[in-house]
Amino acid sequence: MLTLTACAALSGGSAQDNTPDDVSTDISDTEATLTLAFADDPPTHELVEGFTAMYPNVNIELQQTQFTDYVKTISLSMTSDDAPDIAQYNPGAMRSLIPGGHILNLDPYAEAYAWDETFPEATLEPLQSNEEATEFATGSLYAAPGALSVLGVFHNTEVMEEAGVPEPPATLEDFEAALELAHQADIAPMSVGGLEVGGFQIWNALLNGLGDRDDYKDWVYGAEGATIETEAAAEATETFHRWVEAGYVPESANATSDNDARAEFVDGDSMFLVTGNWAAFELEAEMGDDVGFLLMPGTAVDQAPVASGGSVAYAVSSHTEHPDVAAAFLNYLSSVEAAEIQLATGFMPVDTQAPTESYGLLNEVNFGFSTVADNEGIVPFPDHAAPGMIDQLTPGIQGLISGSATPEEFLASLQAEWESHHE
Amino acid sequence: MSDGAPAHPHTTPAPAPTHGAGGGRPRRWRRVRTGLKGWLYLLPALAVYGGFAIYPALSTFSFSFLDWDGVQPPTWAGVENYTRVVTDPLLAGAIGNGLVLIVFFSFVPIAVGLLMTGLLTARGGRGTTFYRTVYFLPQVLPLVAVGTTWRWLYSGDGAVNEFLGAVGLDGLTRSWLADYHFALIALGLIGTWCMSGLCMVLFMSGAQKIDPALHEAAALDGAGRMRRFRHVTLPGLRKEISIAGVITTIAALASFDLVYVTTNGGPAGQTNVPALLVYRLAFNEGDIGAASALAVVLTLLVVALVSVIRLLAREK
Repeated sequence: MLTLTACAALSGGSAQDNTPDDVSTDISDTEATLTLAFADDPPTHELVEGFTAMYPNVNIELQQTQFTDYVKTISLSMTSDDAPDIAQYNPGAMRSLIPGGHILNLDPYAEAYAWDETFPEATLEPLQSNEEATEFATGSLYAAPGALSVLGVFHNTEVMEEAGVPEPPATLEDFEAALELAHQADIAPMSVGGLEVGGFQIWNALLNGLGDRDDYKDWVYGAEGATIETEAAAEATETFHRWVEAGYVPESANATSDNDARAEFVDGDSMFLVTGNWAAFELEAEMGDDVGFLLMPGTAVDQAPVASGGSVAYAVSSHTEHPDVAAAFLNYLSSVEAAEIQLATGFMPVDTQAPTESYGLLNEVNFGFSTVADNEGIVPFPDHAAPGMIDQLTPGIQGLISGSATPEEFLASLQAEWESHHE
Repeated sequence: MSDGAPAHPHTTPAPAPTHGAGGGRPRRWRRVRTGLKGWLYLLPALAVYGGFAIYPALSTFSFSFLDWDGVQPPTWAGVENYTRVVTDPLLAGAIGNGLVLIVFFSFVPIAVGLLMTGLLTARGGRGTTFYRTVYFLPQVLPLVAVGTTWRWLYSGDGAVNEFLGAVGLDGLTRSWLADYHFALIALGLIGTWCMSGLCMVLFMSGAQKIDPALHEAAALDGAGRMRRFRHVTLPGLRKEISIAGVITTIAALASFDLVYVTTNGGPAGQTNVPALLVYRLAFNEGDIGAASALAVVLTLLVVALVSVIRLLAREK
C-alpha cells in the first residue's frame, strides 16, 4: 500500500569536508570522464556538447531524469558512493545535500575564475547559502547558472487591436485599463493556469512591479525577521483580488493547467498570458508576429524594471575526482560561446553583454531581460522561500480566485509557512 | 570435506529404485523434500513480497517516528509526527475528504453495479458482452488519461456544461473542478464512473453462479422480478459485494493519480486527499517523518474500514 520506498537506509555520519584545497583553472592536460545528472533539456545536452567540443580531452556522460522524478532521485544519487560529478541544481534537494556536505563549496573557484565579474550578481545569489542552507544570498557559492529565465507578460497584438488597446501598456494603470477594455469587448483579458503555477505568477509579477526589491529578496532568501506581510505585497494581492472581482481572472482558472492556458492564448482566446521566456519558442512558432513580450509594468514609466527570474544551474559533487574539470564546465557557462547556445535553446544568456542576433519575439524577450539584468533587477521566484511554499502559493491564489480567502489570509498563510521553515 | 578423498555425493547413497517404494526412511525423506520443494516454489514470490511490500511497510513505520529529510542523519521524534497528523487541520481535512470519496468510489458504484446487473440478467443474455465491455472500459484506461479527459469535460466550455446548456440548465453551468463547493463532488463522480463497471463485472460473474433452479422455484412461487432480485440474486452476491466494497474503499482512500492530474488538491485545498499530502510532505517538503506517519494512519484507516466491511458481509 502506501509506503515510501524511495528512502534509502538511514545513513548516518556527519557532514564531510566539501571545500577543495588547491584549485587549478587549467584542465588542458587532464584526461577525464565525468557524469552529469540533470532534468532540463534543452539546454543541458547542448551546453555539454559545446564544452566537450572545446575540450576534447574531457568526456561527459549524461544521466537524464524526468523533472518530477529528478527531485526525488537526486538526493539519493548524490549521497551514494557512485555520485555523479555534476548535478543540475534543485533548491529542494540542495537544502539537504548542502548541510550534509555532499556539494562542493565553489568559493575557491569563484575567486580563481573571478566569477563575480563574469556572472550577473543576481544570478549567483540564489545559489549562495550558509552551511545549513537556511539562508541564501549569503555564505558560499554552491552552483553556477547555465541558462537564465525571466517572467513577463505575453500579449496578443491582434486581440489587443480588436479590443481597442492601442499599444502595449507602459504602466500598471494602462495594463488594468487594457484588461477592462478586453472585458467589455467580451474577450478574456488573461489566460490563467491557476491549477499549477500560472496563478501565483501573476501575483509574483505584480509584486515585482509594486514592491521593494530588497524586502522581497530578504524574504525569499530567508533573512532573519523578513516578512511578506508588507504594504507593497498587500497592494499586489489586493490588485490581483480586484482583478478577480472585476472578472478579469476567470474562476475556471482554478482547474486550468499551464499548458491549457497557453493553448487558449495561442488560439487567440485571450489578450495576455503571464509566464516566462520558456514559452517564447512555442508562442512564436504558433503565433508568428501576433505575439509580443513586455515586463509587468510598475506604477511609473521610468521605474527601474524588476522581474523574477531563475536559472538552470549546476552544482558539483564533493565526492568528485575531477573538481577542476567540473569547475571548468561551470566557468564555460558564462562564455560567449555558451551564450550562443543559451539563446538558441530559448534561454537568456548568462553573459548579458553577449552580442545577439535574435529577432521577433525572442528579441523582445531578450531585450526585456537585459534591461532588468543591467539594472540588477532580477529577483528570485517566490516558491524558493521555503520547500513547502509552492503548496501555499498555488492553493492560496486559488482561494483568492474562488473568493474563499481574503488577501490578508493569503499573505498570512505564506508568512506562516515561512516561519515554520525558518524557526 | 575430508582431505584427499574426493567425495561422490551423487553416486553413494541413493537406494535402488526397486526397493524404495515401501521403505520408511525414503518416504519420510521424500515428504521433507517435498515440503522443502514447496518452499522453494514459494521463494520467488516470498522474496518479492518481502522485499517490496513487507520491508518498505516496516521501514515506513520506523520512519514515522523520526525527524528526517531523507539525507541528513535523522533524529528521534517520538509520536510528534502522529500528533501533527491528528491536529493539523490540513492533514485531518484530507482524511475527511478521503472518507467523502468513499461514498462516490464505493457506495454509489456498488448501487449502480447492482442495478445494471439486475437489468442485464433480467433481459437475458443478449448484448450482455457488449454492455459489460463498455462499462468495464474505464478500468482499462490509465487513470492519468481518465483524469486529463475529465478535466476537459468539466471545464467551462466542456461537454458537461454544453449538455447542461442544451437541456436548458444554463443556470447550473460552471467550471466544475474549479468550483470551491463542487470540486470534491465532481472529482468523486469521476471515481463513480471508473468503479461502477468494475462492480458490475464482479456482480455479473457472481450472478451467473447462482443456481437457475432457485430463480425458477421463486418464480413458480409467484415472485416477481424485483422480489427475485432481492431474495435470490442479492443474497447470492454477498461475497462479490464484499469484495467490491473492499477494492473500491481502498481506491477511494488511497486515490492519488486521479486527484493529482485533475485538481492537485485544489481549489484552495478543497480536494486534498491523504496520498497527495504524503507525496508533498515527502518529496516537496522533505519531511519523511510526517509523510510516513500520515501513510501509516491512512493504512490503519484502510485496514479498519476493510475489516468492518468483511465483518458486515460475513455469512450468518
